[in-house]
Amino acid sequence: MLPIVSLTLFLPLLGAIVIMCHRNAAAEKVHKIGIITSALTLLGAIWMWVRGVVDPGMTGKGFAQVEQIDWMPSIGAAYRVGVDGISLPLVLLTALLFLLTFIYSSKVRKQPQAFVVLMLILETAAIGTFTALDAILFYVFFEVSLVSMYFMIAGWGHEDRQRAAQMFFIYTLLGSLPLLLAILGLYLGGETHTFDMRVWIENPPLEGGAAMLVLIAMLFTFAVKTPVFPFHTWLPAAHVQAPAAGSVILAGVMLKFGTYGLIRFALQMTPEAFREAGVVVLIFGVIAALYGAFAALAQTDLKRLIAYTSVNHMGYIVVGVAIAALTLDPEIRAIALDGSVLQMVSHGLVTGALFFLVGMLQDRAQTREMDQFGGLLKTVPLLGWSFVLAAFASLGLPGLAHFPAEFQIFLATLREEPWAVIVILGIVITAGLYLKAISQVFLGASNEKWKTMPDLDRRELLTLGPLLFFIIVLGIAPSWVLNMVHQTTIALVF
Amino acid sequence: MANDLALMLPEIIVLLTAVAVLVAEMLRQPRIAFFVSIAGLALATMLTLPLLGEQATAFSDTFRIDTLSIWAKLILLPATILSLLLVRAELGGSAREGTAYVLIIMITLASLIMAGAGDTMLLVLGILLAGLGSFALVAYPRTDAATEAAMKYFVFASVTAGVMIFGLTYWFGGTGSTLLSELVILEKSPALAAIGFIAVVIGLGYKAALVPFHFWAPDAYEGAPVSIAAYLSVIPKVGAIFALAQVVRDLPVESAWQWIIAVVAVLSMTYGYLAALGQQNVVRLLAYSSVAQAGYFLLGVIAVGSSPLAFESLIVFSAAYAAMNLGAFAIIMQVGRTLEAFKNVGRQFPMIGVAMVVFLLSLAGIPPLAGFVGKFLLFGAAMEAGFTWLVVIAIINSVLSLAVYLRIVVPMYQPSENEAITTDIVTIPLVRQVWFAGLLLTVFIGLAAQFLLGSIS
Repeated sequence: MLPIVSLTLFLPLLGAIVIMCHRNAAAEKVHKIGIITSALTLLGAIWMWVRGVVDPGMTGKGFAQVEQIDWMPSIGAAYRVGVDGISLPLVLLTALLFLLTFIYSSKVRKQPQAFVVLMLILETAAIGTFTALDAILFYVFFEVSLVSMYFMIAGWGHEDRQRAAQMFFIYTLLGSLPLLLAILGLYLGGETHTFDMRVWIENPPLEGGAAMLVLIAMLFTFAVKTPVFPFHTWLPAAHVQAPAAGSVILAGVMLKFGTYGLIRFALQMTPEAFREAGVVVLIFGVIAALYGAFAALAQTDLKRLIAYTSVNHMGYIVVGVAIAALTLDPEIRAIALDGSVLQMVSHGLVTGALFFLVGMLQDRAQTREMDQFGGLLKTVPLLGWSFVLAAFASLGLPGLAHFPAEFQIFLATLREEPWAVIVILGIVITAGLYLKAISQVFLGASNEKWKTMPDLDRRELLTLGPLLFFIIVLGIAPSWVLNMVHQTTIALVF
Repeated sequence: MANDLALMLPEIIVLLTAVAVLVAEMLRQPRIAFFVSIAGLALATMLTLPLLGEQATAFSDTFRIDTLSIWAKLILLPATILSLLLVRAELGGSAREGTAYVLIIMITLASLIMAGAGDTMLLVLGILLAGLGSFALVAYPRTDAATEAAMKYFVFASVTAGVMIFGLTYWFGGTGSTLLSELVILEKSPALAAIGFIAVVIGLGYKAALVPFHFWAPDAYEGAPVSIAAYLSVIPKVGAIFALAQVVRDLPVESAWQWIIAVVAVLSMTYGYLAALGQQNVVRLLAYSSVAQAGYFLLGVIAVGSSPLAFESLIVFSAAYAAMNLGAFAIIMQVGRTLEAFKNVGRQFPMIGVAMVVFLLSLAGIPPLAGFVGKFLLFGAAMEAGFTWLVVIAIINSVLSLAVYLRIVVPMYQPSENEAITTDIVTIPLVRQVWFAGLLLTVFIGLAAQFLLGSIS
């Protein structure tokens, strides 16, 4: 059988190598290679989806399409990749967002080669993080993504980029090193010394106090990455300074490393300890969701506002995972996890669209201060209506992508820990802040300064179209993703 | 006897090489001296290969041919060759070029002796031999800075060696022998074991530049030619660390040695990086970074006897450290000694930029580079030995280290205020090849550590 997971995983890296070999290629050609490579990667991801997350003869337990090669047999590390219903939707999301980012960035003329190479390396790292089934491999991809994002922000960001990039790198490295500790703990705790994540999931190697310590280390890592209040301070700084493409990938893909890790590592490898600590995680999730919403309300910079709504949306996912850890009823657990995974996908699509739109606005106006605008809906109707649609999706309007996800999370919360459903207040606040933003930027008296602002061009429509399409499709018919997720979540046993 | 000689053949070849180079230098033939050095060291490396897997001792147990000492040869001899290329590039054509080669080969020999020491006297011999060569090398340029650095180095060495020999008399008194393998007797007298061990840590800690015995290192590296600093930051350090591992192998685990090592490790890692944060001179910055890296090595030493990963981690990290540190110093030779000189280098010379970034990220322990695999194994070894708290401190220091190394990365990609001013980088022959080799090795060891791991066990 064709090793389609590995092919998809290393295709972007291959593209990067091709570009590096053509040192003097023109910018257009470089961008073309980037777009073609990421399009092929998306095809690979779709192929993986067609093959499905259940291997013939299995019942949805474990992983499908596993590919394995010896790497460091002396210490039990191997190259192992595969997918299940939790990781495959994220791989599809990653491949789609990268393709659109390449299309959007095809106008970049500042060192285009380095830009495309970094983005392609980042794509391999992102897909690798979601498909790795070996803890060392996971960690390697996890860290490589940090390095490439650091150079992305430092090289192509806005005014204060150096400081923001350093803060991002050091902060998230501080965040990810406890994971290394946890990985070593699980490795040394197991009967057979291996880094095979499947073995750890099948038979959690630690219990009692040791498991709790490992869990705390992992929670720290993923809380920084997600990010959960009070570990979120790197996020606004990084987003504001990052180029639009960087923001889309950071919010759309890299934040999911945190919540994906929360499920894959914390929930699946230390389930008992997570159940004990579940209420604490739940409280953190509730606070993060509410804090993110309130903080977003206070912003005047459109990009910061969207960055803070990410804290809010990711908070719901943490709530969902915590509920899944707390509950003993497999049905509630499946609902909570289905909602969480779908929320990751929805957030990637919606926030991706919003960051693209802010980037497009900034390209035109060189500012993101909301009070500088006004009445843009008349001047640039396409951009305006796209923003309105994405904003409505982001505030959880039924019929758009976030609704089915958040609905399931709240449903599970209500059945397991009813008090925690106060988190629903977050939706009210987000609704308020988006309406405020829309009225300030797109409604009201139009500002003379922007009379000549051009509307979306072909490249920008091509970037946004697929995102808006999927936002609607996921809102109306989420089942084609949910079925895939559900096959795995219903089979989970703790 | 004949068998002993056969087992020590690589060391003997190194010694003969030194003698031959000395003769060539006396005949004022620096070119020949250089080629003889390279050929001799390469030959010694080849002759080490058949010894792989051997577990023996030579000359009535005083010298060990074991995993550590064999890998010390396989790592340090090629590393010395790379250093010699750098030295040739920097000092080639100067009046006493050949003497530098002789001294370097002698220090390498001393480091190999330390790495295989089975006897306290051999340990002392190794330290003194390495010391004598190092003073002369540091003083090579005959500038005020170099002379001062060499003087500090010399005084410091004399004191630490004196203290070490004094402390070793306690071990001799306790065991009635100078052999390390007799140290197990000290199980019933932990105080005696501890006193002797502190003395050994002082002696070897000075060679490996561990805190608080590191004071000489920044001055010596800064005063010496860059290529000599590169050499001194790698070869004697690894030799001393391996010697420490040889010593603790035979110490009773219950004695306090693990705690002494742990304290020194914490001090070295933390102080090294904190001090590096304030440096403006890149050589001094890397000097302090090498102090901190020595602290990381100790995580492997601490696990000797209680974790099978101990030797593997020490060896892999040594190879990684040699590749990335020599590479970083080679880049400094090409670019310059100040942070100022690194401004905009990454934009003007993409390859140099990429190479330096790889070396620095590897030093910080970012995957998938060599430094990561080495540190990962070290952490695993220390955790298995029950020193999880030490690993936590090491991990916190890794974050600090990133801040240190980014201090070099950031200016490399900062557009200089005046774009018209472009740094001139003279391409020095040989230096380019050295950092390129370092780059390949840093990436290769990172991705294919199994290549090393498989042949170690």
